[in-house]
Amino acid sequence: MTTVVCRCEDITEEDIVEAIEKGYDELEKLKRHLRLGMGPCQGKTCLPLARRILGRETGKSVEEMGDPTSRPPSQPVSFSLLASLEESEVDE
Amino acid sequence: MSRYERTGVVKKDDLQIPDEERLEEGPVVVMECVENIPCNPCVEACSFGAVEMEEITDTPDVDFDTCTGCGLCVTECPGLAIFVIDCSYSEEKCVVTVPYEYLSIPDEGDEVMALDKKGEKVEKAEVTSVRKSGKTYAITLEVDKENVWNVRGLEVIE
Amino acid sequence: MLTFFLIFHNLRKYFYRKPKLENTVLEMSERRIFEHPILDFDRGDEFYFDFEGEKVKAYEGETVASALYADGLRKFTESKKLERPRGFFCAIGKCSSCIMSVDGRPHVRTCVTQAEEGMEVKRHGSKPKFPEVDIGRGKERKEKKIEIAVIGGGPAGLMAAIVSARNGADVHLFDEGDDLGGQLVKQTHQFFGSHEEDAGTRGIEIGKELVEEARDVGVNIHTETKVLGYYEEKKITVEEEGRLTIYDTEGIVYAGGAIENYLSFENNDLPGVYGAGGVQTLMNEEGIVPGDKVLMVGSGNVGVIVSYQLLQAGVDVVEVIEALPEIGGYQVHASKIRRAGVPISTAHTIKKAIGEEKVEGAVVQKIDENWEPVEGTEREVECDVICLAVGLSPDTGFLRQADCEMEYIGELGGYVPLRTEDMMTTRRGIYVAGDAAGIEEATVAALEGKIAGAALFEDLREETEDTRKSKEEAKEGLVPVVLSMRRCADDWGLRPILLNHKKGDLRMSRISILPSSFTKGVNCG
Repeated sequence: MTTVVCRCEDITEEDIVEAIEKGYDELEKLKRHLRLGMGPCQGKTCLPLARRILGRETGKSVEEMGDPTSRPPSQPVSFSLLASLEESEVDE
Repeated sequence: MSRYERTGVVKKDDLQIPDEERLEEGPVVVMECVENIPCNPCVEACSFGAVEMEEITDTPDVDFDTCTGCGLCVTECPGLAIFVIDCSYSEEKCVVTVPYEYLSIPDEGDEVMALDKKGEKVEKAEVTSVRKSGKTYAITLEVDKENVWNVRGLEVIE
Repeated sequence: MLTFFLIFHNLRKYFYRKPKLENTVLEMSERRIFEHPILDFDRGDEFYFDFEGEKVKAYEGETVASALYADGLRKFTESKKLERPRGFFCAIGKCSSCIMSVDGRPHVRTCVTQAEEGMEVKRHGSKPKFPEVDIGRGKERKEKKIEIAVIGGGPAGLMAAIVSARNGADVHLFDEGDDLGGQLVKQTHQFFGSHEEDAGTRGIEIGKELVEEARDVGVNIHTETKVLGYYEEKKITVEEEGRLTIYDTEGIVYAGGAIENYLSFENNDLPGVYGAGGVQTLMNEEGIVPGDKVLMVGSGNVGVIVSYQLLQAGVDVVEVIEALPEIGGYQVHASKIRRAGVPISTAHTIKKAIGEEKVEGAVVQKIDENWEPVEGTEREVECDVICLAVGLSPDTGFLRQADCEMEYIGELGGYVPLRTEDMMTTRRGIYVAGDAAGIEEATVAALEGKIAGAALFEDLREETEDTRKSKEEAKEGLVPVVLSMRRCADDWGLRPILLNHKKGDLRMSRISILPSSFTKGVNCG
């Protein structure tokens, strides 16, 4: 029996409930503990679902759950692209 | 909550309908549009000015005496919610015009299966006219008098 | 139900043509749509590529994933920890469910990769190998100064770009896809609205007109580009033609759209569980049917409209389920599918998907007024596709990177940026429009884009007759409903506002279904 919340990082509802029980009761904490939302889609799919689960388990309001930081790159990017920086450019 | 909000099927009672006298006179429009949608192409489609709407979110207000039942509005309604019925067609039969956007277009004179508002079979009916506007067809079916308020769709018989 | 089966059983003959060539592999039948009541699919030349040693047919312009799907493939990869089968899911390059190895390169998103003759495609499962080929280095980085960057080429972005460009601004529009028009290009139904605002026109046609207009007024269009991030001083990084380019902008309109909501139920990751947008992309853009029998989850406008589109493509919609006690979408849309014999079950939720490698059915269940499943009401539904139409969430990652202040507004689908009535966020020069500002529909998106494009132009240059009129006209079509009390009194006028099209009702944006696990804690409209 598997209910997936984060498809990219293979995190199930069970994983999240277990983590909440251990005290990871904010989205940022869940993210750091489970890698929730840290896969290629960057939390686009799982965060709304995770919010619902967190609300159900803890009774917290959306504001109390916090909202994880968003950082570039927003999408998967190949190393070859980043490797295109010439050394001289890196110093700029 | 109205029943149609649960079922998606509107009943005669939910609608603005012409009186018996007007129904006997000839073809007339039946608009099965009961919610306040911001939409008004039916107003523009009518060359006779029979459809009015004060606010765009009002339901269409039809002046059934001005409506000629021409059916131009049938293919213009984005909700495919406009039908034309003609109870004066003959002694036993009425005709119903329905919008249609599936493949397998019937021809005039074909026999098709007339369907009700739940997609259930009502009777075999002859197609008396097929009109196309854009990609939408208006197909007119000859049905039994008692089915004029039931038939709202069709299925082509192979 | 029987009637319904009969209709479509019979109709199906017309939709599918048996594959002509014997060397198409994989056991399934052809899934391409050759005849459609609304759409014409002009396919390019036919060719073959290699999939795990077998030949697979593709047409020019098709993606690798589409061609494989058309050939019957359902399991595209294995998930990385649980090693579960995963299929095509979002169809627009957002999720990672379709990654494969293409010509020796692992982790290629096959749903956004065009198929090419002779290509070698392999599944790499949960543990991809190191690249088998030299993938080289990207081209040298570039930095360019531009005036306005519009991110997203849907109705909101196109409209913003058109208005600012026709007033003389140097406008660059970035979109990930190879075609512009956003979600409009999947909309085969006629739009509601007033006559002057293209009502009765199909979304697909409105999209084409907007793209043409954008070209005519000199918008610099960048397709197949990825906006990777926001950096200080309104700089954005973009991947374009294998190169990283930094655009140094003076103003930005962000119109990045929305993401489909996912739903938790047992086996919700099986191949065959797709988002409604993914189904639309596959069916209305690629001309491929998603399956034979679809269970639609959610009866909001998206759910009922996509159901109708499935019927038009010759696919059987076996049932629509809805968690709320009433149908979420407009009655006219619901009536349309009811007339085709599709049952709509309100106060129902999905309990699980059945199947090992792909969806073979579903178990649905009644729920009570407290969203609790009712014991003993479980029943099995026969289907090979479970389509999720359970609402959208604004895609706001970019705006967060730019430090725009956000607020959670359930009615708008989640976190949305605070903004002025001119669509400016809390960061000067950064504007927002469309679904990224809150879930609405295409007309509202276009009107918001019009306001944002005009207001940004005024901000950077000056007010013109056209910008003044554009803003005025667009605002006439919208009625702001202030949803947040928190910022109402703010002198800046910054607040999340629901812009209703005329005085349209709230149904447009209502999340149509909530999971059985819906909660007391979440403040969700």
